[in-house]
Amino acid sequence: MAHIVKILEGFSFIPRKELTLLEALEQENVSIDYQCREGFCGSCQVTLVAGEVSYTTDPIAFIPEGKILTCCCQPNSDMTIEIPGGCKMKQRSS
Amino acid sequence: MTYTTFNREHFNATQEPMFFGRNVNVSRYDVQKYPIFEKLIEKQLSFFWRPEEVDLSTDRRDFAALPDHERHIFLSNLKYQTLLDSVQGRSPNVALLPIVSLPELETWIETWAFSETIHSRSYTHIIRNIVTEPAHIFDDIVTNEAITKRARDITRYYDALIEGVSLYHQLGEGKHTVNGEEINISITDLKRRLYLTVVSVNVLEAIRFYVSFACSFAFAERSSMEGNAKIIKLIARDEALHLTGTQHILQLLADGQDDPEMAVIARELKDQARQIFIDAAEQEKDWADYLFRDGSMIGLNRDILGQYVEYITNQRMVAVGFEPAFAIKQNPLPWMNSWLNSDNVQVAPQEVEVSSYLVGQIDSEVQSEDFSNFSL
Repeated sequence: MAHIVKILEGFSFIPRKELTLLEALEQENVSIDYQCREGFCGSCQVTLVAGEVSYTTDPIAFIPEGKILTCCCQPNSDMTIEIPGGCKMKQRSS
Repeated sequence: MTYTTFNREHFNATQEPMFFGRNVNVSRYDVQKYPIFEKLIEKQLSFFWRPEEVDLSTDRRDFAALPDHERHIFLSNLKYQTLLDSVQGRSPNVALLPIVSLPELETWIETWAFSETIHSRSYTHIIRNIVTEPAHIFDDIVTNEAITKRARDITRYYDALIEGVSLYHQLGEGKHTVNGEEINISITDLKRRLYLTVVSVNVLEAIRFYVSFACSFAFAERSSMEGNAKIIKLIARDEALHLTGTQHILQLLADGQDDPEMAVIARELKDQARQIFIDAAEQEKDWADYLFRDGSMIGLNRDILGQYVEYITNQRMVAVGFEPAFAIKQNPLPWMNSWLNSDNVQVAPQEVEVSSYLVGQIDSEVQSEDFSNFSL
């Protein structure tokens, strides 16, 4: 079943279910930091305000309580997230 | 109290704290107090790489074509990176191994320090390839005032811990007179030194290194010194893992389940620890002044690098549970993300080097029905 992802001070969208949350956010053109994309660096953390996720691989990075690692998780329910620094769109390069 | 290389007491290592418990005896990993350290070890081993795998022949040409002020930026940055890895290649071993009490953490520290020695070797590889007299560059690291000043800031917490622990091993707790000076050795004081050391190591890996990476990638962003950037990418991948390691250690120390006294110390020293982050950010900005003293380069100048210092410092402070110190919210160098990611290099298929692999992952159980689709 498709789940709705709401970005605080941003917008809501329905990610394609095969994507990780990070990939889904990138596809929506949201600007978000990343480095390793496999769960060990911790760069792509966001705050999980409401909802649940399941991890596709066990993250090695230290994840503080209330945060999720977007590169290796997928929504498990409708959810609300807060991106550090706010929801900013990527500048499209022409 | 004296260090022993093989503790002959019989005890359950999983009941020991991470540091300042009993010395480790058997390096066993069948039972572990913190399995995360073994995951870090496995990940680090899967990253194994050698600097010689990266071809630097075009970098020599690129370097020769750089204007003087850009050569100054490139070489100073490389010297700084060499300094950082010289420290990190030995200090975790010297400072932490004598006081560690868990076998999996001990092995993580050794694995971690070893990977830093690969980084040091890669700087020599780079320097040998771009200049004819590598000795000038290495010698300058110990004589150049701007760099030796950095060395002092980076090593002081390590040195204070090492000094304290060696006196403790020699003399034990209590009041002692050493060289006519009265000193008071207490485990609590050593734990304070340990906490500050781990914070400063996290700052080194998570902030100082990333500032230097930004300079390396700024050259590659305009298609110059790309071999160097490839090596730095591999180094950045290792450092991302190391900073995860120190974040875990800091969190376990502050949490108090490992050692209740450590949690009290972490609370007491919170302001001082936070100040280490802020001071490092200021030092990195001073360093940016030195780098760009003769002029900026396309895509990077003192102000932008300063903003990146503040941005990355905030991010790292939040990661270990501190309030961010600076107002900046947006990454001023968005192109850093793709350079920091080690697996997104677009290369011709025949040139691909798989940069992360695990051995022993082959399924060796082959049944006769696996061949049922074959016909001769």
